Amino acid sequence: MDKSPSNKKMRWISGVVVAVALFVLPFVLARLGRTGEFWIWVTTEMIIMALFAMSLNLILGFGGMVSFGHAAFFGAGAYTVALLMKKAGWPLYLALPAAPLVAAIVAAVIGWFCVRLLGLYFAILTLAFSQLLYMIIFQWYTFTGGDDGIHGIPRPEFLDPTNYYLLCLVLFLICFVLMRMIVNSSFGLSIRTTRENLERAKFIGINVRRYQLINFIIAGAFAGLAGGLLTELNRFAQTEFLHWSKSAEPILASLVGGMYSLVGPAIGSAVLMFLKIILQQAHRSMVEMWAIVLGLILLVVVLFAPGGLVGLYERLFGKSES
Amino acid sequence: MTDQILRIENLSKSFEGNQIFNDVNFAVSQGELSAIIGPNGAGKTTLFNLITGYHIPDRGRIIFKGKDISGLQPFDIVRLGMARAFQITNIFPRMTVLENLVTTVITKENGNLNMVKPVSKLKTVHERAYEILVSVGLADMAHRQSGTLAHGNQKRLDMAIALALEPELLLLDEPMAGMSPEERWQTVELVKQLWERLKITMVFIEHDMDMVFGISQKVRVLCYKTLLAEGTPQEISSNPQVIEAYLGEEV
Repeated sequence: MDKSPSNKKMRWISGVVVAVALFVLPFVLARLGRTGEFWIWVTTEMIIMALFAMSLNLILGFGGMVSFGHAAFFGAGAYTVALLMKKAGWPLYLALPAAPLVAAIVAAVIGWFCVRLLGLYFAILTLAFSQLLYMIIFQWYTFTGGDDGIHGIPRPEFLDPTNYYLLCLVLFLICFVLMRMIVNSSFGLSIRTTRENLERAKFIGINVRRYQLINFIIAGAFAGLAGGLLTELNRFAQTEFLHWSKSAEPILASLVGGMYSLVGPAIGSAVLMFLKIILQQAHRSMVEMWAIVLGLILLVVVLFAPGGLVGLYERLFGKSES
Repeated sequence: MTDQILRIENLSKSFEGNQIFNDVNFAVSQGELSAIIGPNGAGKTTLFNLITGYHIPDRGRIIFKGKDISGLQPFDIVRLGMARAFQITNIFPRMTVLENLVTTVITKENGNLNMVKPVSKLKTVHERAYEILVSVGLADMAHRQSGTLAHGNQKRLDMAIALALEPELLLLDEPMAGMSPEERWQTVELVKQLWERLKITMVFIEHDMDMVFGISQKVRVLCYKTLLAEGTPQEISSNPQVIEAYLGEEV
């Protein structure tokens, strides 16, 4: 990573430009009638899923641990918002902050067990816990609505699609800044240290499991917020939010976008969602092609661009500089 | 007793029925520079692994600064003031040389939980890390990715990481393994000079007898699952048991 001042300045400028463009986007889309409204909805979901992907990458890219159960925290946040708003009558501004809190607690419990294991065993245990949570929500019909989910979650009146988009964008940017701060901090370096060489990390005095657990909880909290936001966007929560296939989405997004950068997974997530929708728009039957397209994309990325899109960009950009 | 920084009492260890140690006893005095020698497979590295908490002894106690540390985790033992450099280089290969030390200094200062301040703004940490690099002669490589360094320099970095922990007891596991004659000579000088300057206790494992007999005040011989002999270099090199078991004809 180049840390020269001019490069840093470039990064800031491009960051600000992208942020401004994202703020302007819904107002442009709103002029396009029904298609525009659809795209506001899509981009809102993109922002939410980008947050979800970035949250996983704290564990995956920075922590070097493959978690197959990240949907558990996404779902925990989603059902927290759904249950609190629908059953307890909480307003959104109280239910939404509760989502990351509940997800963090769930992550603390699951993580306490999982960080005891390494590699594949860690991955399988995260998967097992998330499927367990999935089954509980699936079976507990009276409380969670089972596979019907929870529908008709109220939406405050001022939150029209554009305003909700803006709310999600602001929260996303706050989370981005927070994650950036964490990754660049001493804590972030300590996590990278455990990723680089777990044994040596112990021998310089790092209580590896403890820091892995804290990182796991932080990632879970951000995932919980994303789940809560998607619930309010859809105005329903469903078991699909906790399904293992939901855990795969941020992993794929991180691979495609580049897991050794903070924005990589967000870009990967947005690109994949965009491609899927384009395919869907082209022709209904094309959706069934999605698995093949996704497979091809992953093949190309893994073989030719292991650093993902961000890695590819840096490679191309680096070459043109020298 | 207070001048004993490390005491090994009745230490025994087996792996899957294979006994490595049976009833090992010795004590390391404060400020001593000593060597552990012995044939391959005598358990020299295993002894370090037991002392630093990587393995747990079957029986016996390890007393460090008057405290029984047997059964403690490596990261707890490090924080009591013991550090180690490894036989097979053990660094953070995809980090720069400087980052290797920065993360160590942060850990030494218990700063790992700081999630707010960027590492790049930790001025005193960087100064300290750089200072250690200067002391081991790696300063001009500070910004290189550590995994790309030559083997000898990686060994040096491994030692620098241990030094950054400001240990009272430093364990060096074959500090010259795989080094060229030139690097070996430099390493001997470096170890000696660090020991004189830092006034810490150092124990090293080494096969290079020039180093063992050249700089150590005391030599311990591990053989036949136990401590075969201990004494000054002169005593050890003339000990008939040691000659028969390990040194052979070469000395």
